[in-house]
Amino acid sequence: MNRKNFLAAVSGAAITGPAWSHTPVLPADPRIPPYLSLGDTIGITSCAGYITLQEIQPAFQLMQDWGFRIAIGDTIGKRDHTFGGTDEERRADMQRMLDDPSIKAIMCARGGYGAVRIIDSLDFSTFVAHPKWVIGFSDITVIHAQLNRIYGVASLHAKMCNSFPNDWSKAEPEQAATILSIRQALTGEKMQYTVVPHPANHPGIAEGTLVGGNLKTLESIAGSPSALTTDGKILFVEDTGEYLYSIDRMFWGLKRSGRLGNLSGLIIGGFRIKPDDSPDEAFGKNLQEIILEKISGYPYPVCFDFPVGHQKNNYALKCGVRHRLQVAPDAVTLIEI
Amino acid sequence: MTKRPPYLQPGDTIGLTCPAGYLPAERAQDCINTLHNWGYNVMVGKTLGSDSATYFSGTDEARADELQAMLDDDSISAILCGRGGYGISRIIDKMDFSRFRKKPKWIIGFSDVTVLLQHVFVNYAIAGLHAPMAGAFAVAENPCVASIREALAGTKIRLEAPVHTLNRRGEAVGELVGGNLTLMTHLIGTASDVKTKGRILFIEDVGELLYKIDRMMMQLKRGGKLDRLAALIVGGFSDLSDTDRPYGKTVYEIIRDAVAEYDYPVCFDFPVSHTDVNYALKLGIGYKLKVGKHKVTLEE
Repeated sequence: MNRKNFLAAVSGAAITGPAWSHTPVLPADPRIPPYLSLGDTIGITSCAGYITLQEIQPAFQLMQDWGFRIAIGDTIGKRDHTFGGTDEERRADMQRMLDDPSIKAIMCARGGYGAVRIIDSLDFSTFVAHPKWVIGFSDITVIHAQLNRIYGVASLHAKMCNSFPNDWSKAEPEQAATILSIRQALTGEKMQYTVVPHPANHPGIAEGTLVGGNLKTLESIAGSPSALTTDGKILFVEDTGEYLYSIDRMFWGLKRSGRLGNLSGLIIGGFRIKPDDSPDEAFGKNLQEIILEKISGYPYPVCFDFPVGHQKNNYALKCGVRHRLQVAPDAVTLIEI
Repeated sequence: MTKRPPYLQPGDTIGLTCPAGYLPAERAQDCINTLHNWGYNVMVGKTLGSDSATYFSGTDEARADELQAMLDDDSISAILCGRGGYGISRIIDKMDFSRFRKKPKWIIGFSDVTVLLQHVFVNYAIAGLHAPMAGAFAVAENPCVASIREALAGTKIRLEAPVHTLNRRGEAVGELVGGNLTLMTHLIGTASDVKTKGRILFIEDVGELLYKIDRMMMQLKRGGKLDRLAALIVGGFSDLSDTDRPYGKTVYEIIRDAVAEYDYPVCFDFPVSHTDVNYALKLGIGYKLKVGKHKVTLEE
């Protein structure tokens, strides 16, 4: 916790009024919501992009097969242009799920864009008293960051309804494993990940709270009350559809705002890179070089190609929970502790 | 109080450097000729038309060294950036502004140069010139290019903008800050981040998706950068694109909605942009903005 970030949080609260007018809770170790048991209810809501009832069927069916009940939110099938309903509809649906004691976890149906438009009008007071798992990634990074920074509650960075295979029996092994990792995480299994070592990795052992998500989304909340603090933490980032120059600029932003200097460890997930417009415009550095340049001289371990991101290989990660990252030349593991 | 670098006199020297993207030398020839016609000497840096094979006009070191030399050279009275693109974020923290602080000079550019302009204003309270760069001089008799000449010679800036239906009327006085929206949000939380309270903020951008403009406006808003403005000036947002599922608002509607709860004057379609319409604006200097029913004026 540094002073600058603290002041940012306080001034944010002072400026905006009702939504942030609580005293920010600044957690040392976020609280872990209760794990789910058979028969518990998972709510599905769309706080960002538009999704149809049909599109959530595979997730609905499979999670029911796992033994959970499913509550489908009003926003599923609702549409306001690109959004899953108006800001008010998305807010109200999420609010109801945050407050409903019978709902034990909330799966965001898909990402896209929109969480940031409602985050400050949500009332987390009931949720903070009775935390539950919020599940999603990409645009949902906003919610993970908010829960971590302001409310001190762990959450699940994972695939959403639109990533479930239409036919579970035909799912590829990797796809099945990543979907099953959601169930493992929600039911309280200690998570463990083994990663293929990448030649650009920096070896070492780190322990810390896991935070992170989509790099562009993290950049877009910098300076806001939900901006991540990263000191002493294991940061993971992933992104899709960005040019190398844009990734370079975002890493400069992280570095220049003091978010890379005091990490415990750094995990680089999948980056689907938008190709340079022409060979004349070649950026001249690859992803690994871009990142290693920014963390040159920092002592912490770094691993590349971690299975998280906008890709099939996207395992559930518990944000706000302590993990141990071990990066060795021949083996890379991340273990929940 | 913002320091204004000395205005230029005939015979003064303007340094031309490319601190970001690569620019072929021939693309700057009209610019060099025009500056000569205006009575200035031009010192052309090696980063212009360099043998760089990458996106950049040279290595970080080459770009930083040249910019540093021009900042430190007392015989150079202004520095015109050849083009933007991307690259100043990579060198800004390597620059030593100690000599420049004592002997400020006009730095001219926009887009990626927002980083440099905002950095020197935030850290050293020195004004800069948000204006077209070398490539713009190829357009014959471009009044926006002429506006650079007037600004450098010390003519007070007075601009009129078309009346736009989304404008919010009113009058405001304040220092002008801002520039490219993407770069401005990129600088949030860094040592180059600008405070906007009581100031007139202007923004422009190019080539972004509509939802990303909304996300950046949300970022400014949630970071407390929109609620206490003296006024908002919205320039051009060119070459925008939309997602497969349309966003459902125009870019100006997005911006209007982001500031709907405040009551300061707002004007749209201000002639600052990535198109040919891009008048010079002195950043960090006080202005009076009048957004009226029939007329919009910005006066230094």
